[in-house]
Amino acid sequence: MTRLLEVDRLRVTYGAVVAVNDVSLAVDSGEVLGLIGPNGAGKSSFIDGLTGGIRRGGSVRFEGASLDGLPPHKVSRRGLVRTFQSVELFGDLTVEENLRLAADRPTGFDLLRDLVVPSRPRGLDDVRWAAAVCGLEDALDAFPSELSHGRRKLAGVARALAMRPRLVLLDEPAAGLDTEESVAFGERLRSLPANGVSALLVDHDMELVLGVCDRITVLDFGSVLATGSPAEIRADQKVIDAYLGGSRAA
Amino acid sequence: MNLVLLFLLLGLGAGGVYALLGLGLVLKYRATQVIDFAHASVAMFSAYVFVNLRSTGRLELPWILLPHEIPIASAGIDVLPALAITLVYGTLLGYVLFLVVYRPLLRAAPLTKVCASVGVMLGLEAIAVLNFGTTSLATGPVLPSVPIRIASVAFPSDRLVLLGIVVAAALALLALYRFTRFGLATRASAENETGAALIGISPTAIATRNWVIASAFAALSGILITPISSLDPTSYTLFVVPALGAALVGRFASFPWTAGAGIALGIFQSEVTLLQAQVPWMPRQGLGDGVPFLLILIAMTVSARRLGVRGDPGTMRNPSLGRPTRPLATSIVCLVLGLIVLVALQGSFRAAFISSLITTCICLSLVLLTGFVGQVSLAQMSFVGFSAFVLSQLGAIAGLPFPIPALLAALTAVPLGVLIGLPALRVRGVSLAVVTLAVAAAMDALVFSNAAFSGGLGGRTIGSPTFFGIDLGIAQGHDYPRVIFGVVVLVVVVLVGYGVARLRTSSTGRVLVAIRSNERAAAFVGVDVARMKLFAFALSSFIAGLAGSLLAYDQGTVSSASFATFTSLTVLAIAYVAGIGRIAGAVIAGLMFASDGLFVSFLDAWLHIGQYQQIVAGVALAFTAIQNQNGVAAELAGEKGLALRIARLRDRILPVRWFGGAAPAPLRTRSTSDVTRTAAAEPAVAVKEEAGARNP
Repeated sequence: MTRLLEVDRLRVTYGAVVAVNDVSLAVDSGEVLGLIGPNGAGKSSFIDGLTGGIRRGGSVRFEGASLDGLPPHKVSRRGLVRTFQSVELFGDLTVEENLRLAADRPTGFDLLRDLVVPSRPRGLDDVRWAAAVCGLEDALDAFPSELSHGRRKLAGVARALAMRPRLVLLDEPAAGLDTEESVAFGERLRSLPANGVSALLVDHDMELVLGVCDRITVLDFGSVLATGSPAEIRADQKVIDAYLGGSRAA
Repeated sequence: MNLVLLFLLLGLGAGGVYALLGLGLVLKYRATQVIDFAHASVAMFSAYVFVNLRSTGRLELPWILLPHEIPIASAGIDVLPALAITLVYGTLLGYVLFLVVYRPLLRAAPLTKVCASVGVMLGLEAIAVLNFGTTSLATGPVLPSVPIRIASVAFPSDRLVLLGIVVAAALALLALYRFTRFGLATRASAENETGAALIGISPTAIATRNWVIASAFAALSGILITPISSLDPTSYTLFVVPALGAALVGRFASFPWTAGAGIALGIFQSEVTLLQAQVPWMPRQGLGDGVPFLLILIAMTVSARRLGVRGDPGTMRNPSLGRPTRPLATSIVCLVLGLIVLVALQGSFRAAFISSLITTCICLSLVLLTGFVGQVSLAQMSFVGFSAFVLSQLGAIAGLPFPIPALLAALTAVPLGVLIGLPALRVRGVSLAVVTLAVAAAMDALVFSNAAFSGGLGGRTIGSPTFFGIDLGIAQGHDYPRVIFGVVVLVVVVLVGYGVARLRTSSTGRVLVAIRSNERAAAFVGVDVARMKLFAFALSSFIAGLAGSLLAYDQGTVSSASFATFTSLTVLAIAYVAGIGRIAGAVIAGLMFASDGLFVSFLDAWLHIGQYQQIVAGVALAFTAIQNQNGVAAELAGEKGLALRIARLRDRILPVRWFGGAAPAPLRTRSTSDVTRTAAAEPAVAVKEEAGARNP
């Protein structure tokens, strides 16, 4: 296994509030890493900082190259793509168009050629694959507003996958999915590494996270509380106190 | 030194009025999220009411056809009663306008509100022109004015009183908002209307009260400026531009900043007047009006945040988009229909049809920019005008075969478009609208009113376009307007329409629409938002520039008045109301709404609306904005809409297998809450079928 993502002391602050406090972690290729923690632990801020959405401290290396100072669109073109907790699909485009946008971006000359002749469809394989992984084949022609919340979340994941990322950052993809959907999603997630996509999964659905992830990192108050295999995390007293609940926690 | 101080004090006059108007704008925006372009129109009307009360004792009513003057005294009345009556009058006028126009739009998209307010502005200005004429009125003092001296500089004391009024007003509003339940309720309902309603605040009632206070401010501003600036409908209406600048500096939120910016603006303009008198090499014109807007532009661009945050007040709800089906076939049908109309119509109607086509071209540039990408430009006529004047100055190049000079002139508008696009990388939504308005005002003052460029009042003449010896011009001897010129315009506009339609369904179009939907998410799926926005601005300004070339050929003489700041507002308003997300919207805007277009010319010929045209247009604009918030074209494209029937007819005449492109596009409609589309995009079908085949 090779090191895919290496985060060194990533720091995100909002004014005086430290949301992410020098978090270091690494993701190997072919791995699904879980990132869990209570609300406000800094998980989404971590993803924001990682992908260049907000100003951050520390350094991030991806496939051996530094991502520091890159704007979001360049980070995602390198193969590090995120999804959103709040879905954020393009409401004026169909699901299929949402995916095609991610799979096929016009380059310099296309901008003018598109004024004259119909564009040659590109990246349809990626679109089909991403839709199949998320079980959205029958929804391609629908608008996001016509889907259930759960399927909209899946469409957001599919859009990220249509870029054929090396690593996908999933920000609470299972929130809003019912139990059955969540189980099915877990199976799909497990199939990603075989397709060359590693994943960093942020979610509150412990069933999903413990079942799917190879390793899990727990955040609390912006700092890493523990890292380990699902079994180790399940047994970790600090994690139980802060997050999982059990003997003392309510 | 003394002169500098004197001009500073004199500048307090205009500055105070900008500040008062700006405060009213902020008040309206905070309470209703309306940027009211008609704010200074209420001030203008109140000024006329005040002046007429003072001179004749008659009360002027805001309508036409009916008697509009009521004598309430046998002779002119004193300042104080006139002031009181006018304040009540202006407040009532604002209240009625709110009830009729703005209240129904409280929950509409911001741009819809802008368009409605442009309608009100046009309407009030037109009524004032009809009732009071366009001659400037000079009037006597309002505030007590005695010469006083500061540091050996003698100046009229009313400027200091005005300054006092502004400071008092800003402080009063600040206190009202900060310390009273009313202010708290306003802030609450601006932040979260539903939340405010849940705890028993009526957002509508709060909005009404704020609007009424703001209208009183407008009336007061109108009265106070009469001794400083001579009164005429247009220049008073235009006071909204510097006031918007001041409000922009205050970010449509801060009363002290707005008041300070307004006063600074007035002082600056006054000092520039002094500089122009003293420094020989300073440009004679435009500097005082132009430079402040450039400063606003730069300040806004530098200070804005780079990437939009979720729920950013700058982002706006979007009107629905069309989905062009079969652009090639549609273009051919339009071309043939256009040719028939060109030959069938005669004389002034043919000329009106050509004007309609050119307006359609301008509106197409907005369909691309505002419709697809969601970037509001209130400077579109500046591109049009710039290109038209460049064409007039091309000299020998202008003699080259036809499309070349027009294309070159249009290309010169592109750098300008990119320049206006730069603030759009940071400024969003309605703030961008105001920034582009500042650009238009700066262009107006610095470029178009520069006689060396625009030829002054006489304008500049443009020779006929030729194509290897063939005269394509609109006139030849007594032959006007010639069909051949109409054909040239028609072909250009159809080509532009075809290109825009093609773009909409292409991969570029997807990216542009994605930016409109969600800039932030687009960046995270690899879209270079800045580059694509600049591309959209460049292309849009090129299309507008092309329209400018056509306009120049059409009119033969171009003068700067055709491209004044407010023409850009009008053009955006008609494009928006006709349906800014659709090509059909641009066509409707050109044919139905353009003031020199076909429909208005018919109306004029049959009903002799002539002088009432602008009032009709203004009222129509305001009410169409209220009625069809997605635009007329969206209404026509609905379940049983006209557009659908036209598309079916087209498919019968030009079957899909001839001009249809890759796959047959099944015609069907589906309506969701905010999206209406007339047919599926062609490639979508292909993918779906393949996907379906793999999963039986």
